[in-house]
Amino acid sequence: MKYEILPWLILFLPLLSAAVITLFTLRCKTTSSLISIGAIVAGFVMTVVFINANGFHPAVSETMTNWLNFGGPLQIDFGLKLDALSLMMLLIVTGVGGAIHIYSYGYMDEDPSKARFFAFLSLFTFSMLGIVLANNFVMMFIFWELVGVSSYLLIGFWYEKPSAGDAAKKAFITNRLGDFGFLAGILMVWGLLGSLNFGVLKGAMETNPAALGCCATIAGLLVFCGAVGKSAQFPLHVWLPDAMEGPTPVSALIHAATMVAAGVYMLCRTLFLYTPDALHVIAYIGGFTALLAALIAVQQNDIKRIIAYSTLSQLGYMVMAVGLAGPTPAMFHLTTHAFFKALLFLSAGSVILGMHHEQDIWQMGNLRKKMPITFVTFLIGALALSGLWPLSGFFSKDSILGQAYGQHNYLLFIIGVFIAGLTTFYTFRLFFVVFFGQEKSKAASHAHESSLVITLPLIVLAVFSAIGGLIGIEGIYHYNFPIEGEQSAGFIAALFEPFKASPVAALLGLLAFAIGLVAAWALYAKAATDPLPAKLGGMATAMKNKFYFDELYEATFIRAHDGIAAVVNWIDQWILEGCGIGLVRGGTNLSGRMLRHLQTGNLQTYAFLFVLGVSLVLYFVLRK
Amino acid sequence: MTTSILTYIAGWPIIAALVLLVVPRNYRVIIRAIAVLATLISAVLAVKMFCQFVPGANGFQFEQQIPWVDSLGISYHVGVDGLNVGLILMGAIVAFAATLCSFEIQTREKEFYILLLVMSGGILGAFASLDLFFFYFLHELALIPTFIMIGVWGRGEKKNYATFQITLYLSLGALIALVGLIALYVASGANTFDIPKIIEHAKTNPLATNVQNFIFPLLLFGFGILVSLWPFHSWAPLGYGVAPSPTAMLHAGVLKKFGLYGLIRIALPVLPAALTTPILSPSFFNHFPFGWLPAFTQHWLLNLTWPYVLALLCVGNILYVGWVAMRQRDLNMLIGNSSVAHMGFIFLGIASLSLIGISGAILIMVAHGFLAALTFALSGYIYKQTGSLEMSELGGLCRKLPFIGTALLMAAMAGCGLPGFANFAGEVTVFFGAWKVFPAITFIALWGALVIGGIYMTRAIRNVLHGPLPEKWNTMADASHVWRKLPYALLLASLLVFGFWPRLLTDKINPDADKIVERVTAPAKAMDKVLVQADNSGVRN
Repeated sequence: MKYEILPWLILFLPLLSAAVITLFTLRCKTTSSLISIGAIVAGFVMTVVFINANGFHPAVSETMTNWLNFGGPLQIDFGLKLDALSLMMLLIVTGVGGAIHIYSYGYMDEDPSKARFFAFLSLFTFSMLGIVLANNFVMMFIFWELVGVSSYLLIGFWYEKPSAGDAAKKAFITNRLGDFGFLAGILMVWGLLGSLNFGVLKGAMETNPAALGCCATIAGLLVFCGAVGKSAQFPLHVWLPDAMEGPTPVSALIHAATMVAAGVYMLCRTLFLYTPDALHVIAYIGGFTALLAALIAVQQNDIKRIIAYSTLSQLGYMVMAVGLAGPTPAMFHLTTHAFFKALLFLSAGSVILGMHHEQDIWQMGNLRKKMPITFVTFLIGALALSGLWPLSGFFSKDSILGQAYGQHNYLLFIIGVFIAGLTTFYTFRLFFVVFFGQEKSKAASHAHESSLVITLPLIVLAVFSAIGGLIGIEGIYHYNFPIEGEQSAGFIAALFEPFKASPVAALLGLLAFAIGLVAAWALYAKAATDPLPAKLGGMATAMKNKFYFDELYEATFIRAHDGIAAVVNWIDQWILEGCGIGLVRGGTNLSGRMLRHLQTGNLQTYAFLFVLGVSLVLYFVLRK
Repeated sequence: MTTSILTYIAGWPIIAALVLLVVPRNYRVIIRAIAVLATLISAVLAVKMFCQFVPGANGFQFEQQIPWVDSLGISYHVGVDGLNVGLILMGAIVAFAATLCSFEIQTREKEFYILLLVMSGGILGAFASLDLFFFYFLHELALIPTFIMIGVWGRGEKKNYATFQITLYLSLGALIALVGLIALYVASGANTFDIPKIIEHAKTNPLATNVQNFIFPLLLFGFGILVSLWPFHSWAPLGYGVAPSPTAMLHAGVLKKFGLYGLIRIALPVLPAALTTPILSPSFFNHFPFGWLPAFTQHWLLNLTWPYVLALLCVGNILYVGWVAMRQRDLNMLIGNSSVAHMGFIFLGIASLSLIGISGAILIMVAHGFLAALTFALSGYIYKQTGSLEMSELGGLCRKLPFIGTALLMAAMAGCGLPGFANFAGEVTVFFGAWKVFPAITFIALWGALVIGGIYMTRAIRNVLHGPLPEKWNTMADASHVWRKLPYALLLASLLVFGFWPRLLTDKINPDADKIVERVTAPAKAMDKVLVQADNSGVRN
């Protein structure tokens, strides 16, 4: 492997940047942001250089050093895995992440804590790169946790707002629930197979598929718990929408392009672990999440929350694809989704800036004339998300639908198509309300286009959102997950490949898109208020209230823990402490009182005891 | 024989304490300078000692022995191996940080510094001692000042009750441990207080199993009370809650580790049979009418061993005290309870009786020392500024106290096991060590570490650092002076260093932890061998 040092540099430069900013340049906004941007852009360049030199499939794919060593049974390495999967993810994280860093330079310009923001961004980039490069479970878990904490810091960036503090806390704890299962799964796998290295584990599972024995499904599902937390799958999906309390670039970076993708990436990385039963559960959880989130998205009014629920729904797609034994479609969709979802978030951020931090879509309207560039980029993002041929989203979504169809899982296939329609509907609901119709508030009539440092990343991302399906991304993942049969080569062939490979999926997907678009146009093109609640009644209320999951968890998980805590605290105070102290004190007190009778100070008593003692002694001496 | 560097590490604070006796009490700067200097020298020497330590060398390093009472076999004997090298380093650094943090003490400073120095020297000496007498005596020397400091310089309304409780519990614990140690001395028949000699002697002439089974619980619970083993923990949060922060730093950080160290250093290698044989003999059921119990319960009772009991108790520490911590409204009580909960992971590591578990336990001991000192120092700083640690009254402090706030945030994250800090390395090691022995208990411990720890720590951050800043705290000032920042920075840096490179420590611990594990598991193996031979002979016949 050439340039073995490069991956290490790519990984540690952002950490260095975070450290330098925190320790030295916290007072200087510009220097700090340039250091942070420099670190990630350098990472991108180095990734390109590395791939140029070694290709997507280096002969030696690991480089490592020992982190903890306990002889035979437990060796924890700090190692980097470099194969098509991780190199492609490196490109996404540094590339999309780099665009978002540059965008942040403009977006956070007026914030007094800009330097701190960039320190957190760099810390996050470091953690995310660590997940991508990890070659063993413990290292992945380490960075898994670090990603959790850096997202905690970024969501709570405006910590003086109580809602931001609460959202950060919620995200952290929900993620921790997933991590609990993840670590338990890691321990279980280690206990049964005796190794933590992905390569070794994969080899062990291939030589002996029954190596995990009866625990195989449980171990797999425990590891999957980690993905449920990080990729916000049902039932741990509640944190992601709240995470929109963070600044918009954070939403784009963490909650669209990278962090939430970590779960899907991890599943693909550890695909060898899952039994058919486990995959079945994974597929249905993914499908259910996708449906649930799409339904909720239909009735949200906050521009960022709509996109957040859309992210949830798309992540559900990806997890479903993994569950349908299709890692390539999942990773493909992850990649294109990173482009168009980052684009949508950043465009939304541009809208929010133009609207002076107003996020309610029913306060906007007719922005297409005021913000032409944002309008076009948002349109491209929306079309890509909805899956219009030949934009990137069409190809990746089609490959997932094709996978479901090919696996003869018609239930998930139909759900997938239905969600595709819903996706188009809620995306264009948002689009029409924001960019068409009448200005619904004063702010909307005074909106303005954002500066170049903001629109430039939008344009770059828009280009990739448009062509992302045609530049051979899918083919790269085939290095890791080889498929049977030949692939068609050539641009034109790639363009029409979906219609050849799985015409039912492609055509039904497009039909769903058309229905969704028409429905959205009919309902929202000229609407001043939302007409849907009147039509759907109770269903709309439930959707608006996110199907009451927050309330449910509040009533169960949180209440249960607080209740137990109250009881336990009472026991601690009154029983343990009371008993411990009471017994010792009472015992000492009692013995003191008893002994006091021996020392009354009464001369007669002493004389009596003295005589008693003497007579006893005499008795024992003279008894013989 | 040249004087060992260990004698200097423990000696400097003691000498400084003696010097302070003759310094007039109004020379405040000089008093403080002497104390800081002495602990600084001791910390620098400890770092030097740590760097010079050769991992895996046979026997003890930096050894020094001076006979004292020959008839009883008492001698001044110090030395380090992998088990205590990290503890001494941690202790010396924490002592230095605690002395630096003592600027918050404004009344009767001279006495305070003298007691603090005696405490520092005592505990460092106890960790370095290889002689039972000095081991115990120096610990008591460090323990008594704790009570006085809490009683005199403590804060809050509950001061007297807390002093009373901590004195009662810790004296009781020390007393039970003393009984156990004396019993050990008498029963071993080695006629020496020298720990390595006792261990050697026990190798060739093991104590009778029933004697071991009698002594081990004395040591376990005696030392256990000193370490706030559940259910004997209630002294700790309350005591730390009212203690002046340097005292809380030294006690929670360093002194508390004495009991754990004692278990690993003495109880495990000398009493291996107590660890592997069931507590209850089968004849137990002949004496007590438990025959009506279901068969599996009887079976469970008969197979109960001390490590298993310890593992069960540590669930109390991790889960139960974790819940108690969730309930706290006072920051210091929360930190105190979380510190008790952390002890559970150490006990779990020890109970696993595996190399991984015990190494992990020692790693957490060192990590927790830095962490506990850091959190108590930070809460002390906030208390100094606000006069209250009631979390409902605080909030938004990150705005006014960027440095202290960031440090507290990092400490809280270290406390809930964030990678990068030494605690994570230790905890994850313990989980790996305990998984094969106690999978169910490890599973519960994971919940305590990841979920419950996460909940109370993020709640504390939310209530103290995040949210709007109440009007009345607008006058607060951050630590601006280098000397003021130094203790926090030093402790954080130590946590990070061992978090990034845990091998710095584990490579030193492993060879010696391995000896202990071998020692504990050897009798069991030997017994297996006997059984196998018996089987073979049976076959031959």
